[in-house]
Amino acid sequence: MSRAVRAEWTKLRTMPGTAWLVFAGIVAAIGASWLASAIVKCPSSCGTDTTKLSLTGILIGQAAVAILAIGVIAPEYGTGMIKTTLTAVPRRSVVLAAKAAVITGVVAAAGVVEVLGSLLIGRLLQPGNGFSAARGFAALSLTHGPTLRAAAGSVLYLALIGLLSLGAATALRDSAAALTVVLGLLYVVPVLGVVLLSHRWQARIDRWTPASAGLAIQATRHLARLPIEPWPGLGVLAAWTAGALLAGYLLLRLRDA
Amino acid sequence: MTSTLTPYRPAGSPGRDGFAQILHAEWTKFRTINGWLIAVVAAAALTALLPIAIAGTAGNPVESCHAGNCQVEGSVVATGPGGEAVVDQFYFVHQAMEGNGSITALVTAPHGVAPKPHAPLDLRLPATQPWAKAGVMIKESTKAGSAYAAVALTGGHGVRMQYDYTHDIAGSDGKTTPLWLRLTRRGNVITGYESAGGTHWSAIGTAVLPKLTTVVQAGLFVASPDYTELASGFGGGDDSNNGPTWSASSFTHVALTTGAAKWTGTAVAPPGATQQNIIFPIGPHQQKCGVTGTCPGKQGFSQAGGTFRVTGSGDIAPFTPIVDPLQVCLFGVLFGLIALIAIGVVYITAEYRRGMIRTTLTASPRRGRILAAKAIVIGTVGFAAGLIGTVIAFIVVERKLNKLGWMPPVWHILSATSSIGLQVIIGTAAIVALTGVLALAAGVITRRSAGAVAAVIGLVIVPLVLGIVLPLAPARLVLMITPAAAFSVQQIYPRYSQVSTTCAPYHGCFPLAPWTGFAVMCAWVAAALIAAAWLLRRRDA
Repeated sequence: MSRAVRAEWTKLRTMPGTAWLVFAGIVAAIGASWLASAIVKCPSSCGTDTTKLSLTGILIGQAAVAILAIGVIAPEYGTGMIKTTLTAVPRRSVVLAAKAAVITGVVAAAGVVEVLGSLLIGRLLQPGNGFSAARGFAALSLTHGPTLRAAAGSVLYLALIGLLSLGAATALRDSAAALTVVLGLLYVVPVLGVVLLSHRWQARIDRWTPASAGLAIQATRHLARLPIEPWPGLGVLAAWTAGALLAGYLLLRLRDA
Repeated sequence: MTSTLTPYRPAGSPGRDGFAQILHAEWTKFRTINGWLIAVVAAAALTALLPIAIAGTAGNPVESCHAGNCQVEGSVVATGPGGEAVVDQFYFVHQAMEGNGSITALVTAPHGVAPKPHAPLDLRLPATQPWAKAGVMIKESTKAGSAYAAVALTGGHGVRMQYDYTHDIAGSDGKTTPLWLRLTRRGNVITGYESAGGTHWSAIGTAVLPKLTTVVQAGLFVASPDYTELASGFGGGDDSNNGPTWSASSFTHVALTTGAAKWTGTAVAPPGATQQNIIFPIGPHQQKCGVTGTCPGKQGFSQAGGTFRVTGSGDIAPFTPIVDPLQVCLFGVLFGLIALIAIGVVYITAEYRRGMIRTTLTASPRRGRILAAKAIVIGTVGFAAGLIGTVIAFIVVERKLNKLGWMPPVWHILSATSSIGLQVIIGTAAIVALTGVLALAAGVITRRSAGAVAAVIGLVIVPLVLGIVLPLAPARLVLMITPAAAFSVQQIYPRYSQVSTTCAPYHGCFPLAPWTGFAVMCAWVAAALIAAAWLLRRRDA
């Protein structure tokens, strides 16, 4: 197993796009967080959840995570590399587990940087934008329980999105198809959860789709009003991830490469 | 001996690498791949079916109120002179005026007299709304929705002459206050004037009120529109503060040319509205003034000597529904769009992956033409798929919404052949086509499926999500500068500058005017095509 992990790590590390993609994801995520924290000001939007606001960039960062995770398996089918991989490590479960381990490690590392960078920017910018102690807003701090939960949860969220993408890519075996499905799930479905004219359907989408439910982990205010509580929300995402990985594993096992 | 062998020349060889042939070749490549055809049919089907499915989950307007999407309790909308939905609630101190005449007053600017009901405690200061109005008015009757003309000082938009709800003419900046305001009636024509000293008058504008009765009501009025603050939130937790506001103003030297009987104060409101206006979203902080008795202000007037002090609440304006149910349903076309993105990208990246691109470029070495031909093919296919899907979606959704009670005067029911219907349908089909072309260009630029799909989804679809989940200010910015601005062609309600509507993207409101937003997308596509053509020429295949 450890050799399989090292092999996967070598493949990922030496692919020309990896470092660039991870870097671009971090920059885009922190940049988006910076934009959100810089633009939202208190006299007009005092109801804002400041922790969640400063973590806005995770919404962008998840796209880079999906591309990265899909990239560790789908292109192998395009180039035929998968045959080499499976010849070297014939046990499908070990291959998938090794890829999952590598992706989780890289995404978690990038996620920690994104989350800490975003929170730091929020901590520096928000007091100047009216979210000041005078108005009852404490500066963002990891010693604050809900903020710590939102921060750690955001890293977990990204890791789960990575694994979900890996599962989908393993099942679909094509970059374009997998990316279309995953990005559709992450970006198009949540739109419906907000715009739908029916409260019942809004609530169903907010509770049971991966992105909307998973991001409940970032909320620190008005918890009673959330469609799903933070940890159960992340649990819903974890269930989607488990389903995708299982589907990917079964198809990997049953099909010829 | 002369050779009898003539070199083989295929029929029609002149112009063999003409553009028509390239186009034909590219079309053949597209049409002979079953997977792509299936994907195009799927894109058209998704474009048609998802909006219909969304409409299928919709309730009637009252049910949707409880989803936080409501902004109106049916009874408070009045019907204006042209049969349109209008807001007509304010405080009017008036008396009858017969025939021609004029009303004059020295007016102070309106100032807020009650705090926003749900503002954080430390911000609970009386707030003047930018469109609070205080001035003189000639109105057919005190019935809400009747014809009127008014000149007024506003809270933040200077002097304005407004008439019949939709018309708004700017006067001076209103920095001098108190300011003399006058309205003069001559037949059906009413002229508004302002003056700093009461001696030199300058006309602001004229209003023609076609069916004005002989006896009208003339007098002083104050209005103060509702305020709304929205902060959207992904996964619920939507935070909106809203509620009525009150403003007060003083009037002196009030003069009516046709005599001076007793002044009467009337809170103009449509029947069914409670004492105060109750137009506001039903959100977490809902408040019903006059029902719960927690209103922080009260409409009315007092007269002492020659000075009138009038307090009013409400607005006199065209009614713009916050939620646009048709556009909400048309969010469903995103699923068809995402399918077309995949096709547009693979249409070129598959050639790179299989090495087909070398054959293509050998057969026709002029690379710009290849790109143009591919763009025309994918654009036409996308437009056709989008058009078929949108026409079906539009007709079925409009019928369904109408049946559910989303009907005039508040909500428009459009026919597919009306000019706005065509704008929505053709605009949406064109978005699908342009997105396909953008995907093609991205495929040429990146030469990899994954990067291109991600880039196009990031440019066209992610901004919509950001528009929904981000707080209002960054959300509007994102929807102005990305290709997603083009979805503004799906807007069917006119926007009026004299109404502070909260334009929330998740209610189907886009910051740019319909075709302006579309032009933003065209600019992106043009830039992407130029970059693609340049790279295609420069790089080896």
